[in-house]
Amino acid sequence: MGFFLVMKAELVRSFIIMRRYWFATLMGMIVGYGMLIGLIFGFRSGTVDAHWATDQTEKVLGFVVGIFAFGIVGMFSQGLQGMARTGELEQVYMSPHGLITNFLARSFVSSLISIPTWTILLVFVSATLNSDLHADPFPTFVILLLTYLNLIGFGFMVGGLTLVFKQIGQATLLIRMGMVAVAFAANPDWYKLPAVILGAAHVVPITDASICLKLVLIKGLGLGVFSHPSFLFLLINVALWTTLGVACFKYMENWSRDKGTLGAY
Amino acid sequence: MSHPFAVELRNVDKTFNTRHFLSKDEESGRRPIYQKKIVHAVNHVSFGVRPGEIFGLLGRNGAGKTTTVKMISGLVKPCSGEVFVDGLPVEKKRLQILRRIGVVLEGTRTCIWPLTPMENLAYFGNLRDVKGKILKERSHRLLDFIGLRDKKDIQVRRLSRGQKQKLAICIALITDPPVLLLDEPTTGLDVQSSRAIKDKVIEMTREQGKCVLVTTHDMGTAQELCDRIGIIKDGVLVACKPTEELLDVFSDHCFEVRLDRMPDIEPIRRIRGVSGVEPVNSEGGPGFILQTSRDEAERSNALYATLGHLQSQGVLLRTVTQRQQNLEGVFLQLTATQSEQREERI
Repeated sequence: MGFFLVMKAELVRSFIIMRRYWFATLMGMIVGYGMLIGLIFGFRSGTVDAHWATDQTEKVLGFVVGIFAFGIVGMFSQGLQGMARTGELEQVYMSPHGLITNFLARSFVSSLISIPTWTILLVFVSATLNSDLHADPFPTFVILLLTYLNLIGFGFMVGGLTLVFKQIGQATLLIRMGMVAVAFAANPDWYKLPAVILGAAHVVPITDASICLKLVLIKGLGLGVFSHPSFLFLLINVALWTTLGVACFKYMENWSRDKGTLGAY
Repeated sequence: MSHPFAVELRNVDKTFNTRHFLSKDEESGRRPIYQKKIVHAVNHVSFGVRPGEIFGLLGRNGAGKTTTVKMISGLVKPCSGEVFVDGLPVEKKRLQILRRIGVVLEGTRTCIWPLTPMENLAYFGNLRDVKGKILKERSHRLLDFIGLRDKKDIQVRRLSRGQKQKLAICIALITDPPVLLLDEPTTGLDVQSSRAIKDKVIEMTREQGKCVLVTTHDMGTAQELCDRIGIIKDGVLVACKPTEELLDVFSDHCFEVRLDRMPDIEPIRRIRGVSGVEPVNSEGGPGFILQTSRDEAERSNALYATLGHLQSQGVLLRTVTQRQQNLEGVFLQLTATQSEQREERI
């Protein structure tokens, strides 16, 4: 119940801000589209094969997934750091629903807004490149939901550490950039990598999500994605990161109250 | 059974461990790579605030006022002791207590700047479980009460500092809490805004029976607003009395002596029980302010000895009156550091 109440508050706030700053939102999308198209055509070699457009759309999809992860995890690191600095974190902590419910609702609303925005961008890029996107709503929805849960699990862990060690917010920028790179590059061919490297890649919360989304939207695997090893790894990842993340956040929240760092400006 | 105190602290203690890298150690003058220091922010503090009472917590910067407020609101966990709100222990029933307190912490970012006051109240109301018709009615009532009705649809970033502070108070009151904690509510505000906020605080306690705990540096505000005052020095509560009583206690040992001419006051300074002599020369003629010990016997001795000294010098005594202290004087006496006390004597 508390989650829905907080979600409603966040949704209303986000839409008001989006409506009030609609020009900035629109310009952001146009700039993003222009930048992606510029990069794709800027790096195009003289001759292109039949798969060129599909490859480029796959890269754009990877980039979009990476940016989504960058944003969600950023909300728990630098976002939380900023909230602590301005005093907003203390206000949110005063909510009887608790910090976890609040951040869960915040990140959910942020995802609800960013996913359609990035989807529109992806569709425009794909149309420009004359490449097909396989719109399979059910597997896409399931994978997106798992990706979200996976990312917030990881985000909670980062957020918990940020509550106590404020400087970590800056350090996680590197991790977030690494996640963009992994999401961009990850593809089913990674299963040919040495076991150690592949194992390390599976631990990164965005690797299997990116592979699964590419399999559904680019390769058109549809429901077949559920039998792919990456889907299994995604499920394991979700269980691991959400449990670890929430436990870590709870512990760190208590510690930050002890250290008095909840509202260190 | 209803609890006598809306807010109560029982022997509350809080220490913080601070870590420093390459910072100068004041004692040794060296600059070690790493040093750990323990800061005793709040030292075994106990006091209670009754419903319908305004309690002022005064102290210098870093004295422990904000830490105390944060412990009451559950933002900081005490190392030992217990904090109660409406008879409920904060550590065990924090989520329940959050519905019973409103907190305005220092700073102006307690509201969301791109939203209007009305939208801010809706947002924070939802976060705090206030919804629907009640939320709408209460938001309108609060904005009317605080005088922001005509600004309700203007984005917060366009409001003045005083208006933002008023909105922060409205946000704290959105759950209609019986307890309101205000941390430096008038800092940086102009006279009119400060006056308006003080009036509203008085109105809330007198008419709605709310319990208000206010921390401030502004002695005038504290003296005017607070029914009781606690003075905190280096984490220790050095005084906690009703405002009038506190002023009376300190007036007891402060005397204004008027004479026909100025005597040699140096021997008076050396009298046992005299803690300060300050010459004055105004319309009332020459004289001095005599500060004596708070101990009754020593005070009596100081007065007899001073009058004896004046008589021996052949000075004509015109008047001896007890001097009414103001809160600033009391505060300075209670919070003066040892070095400052030494300087005063020199």
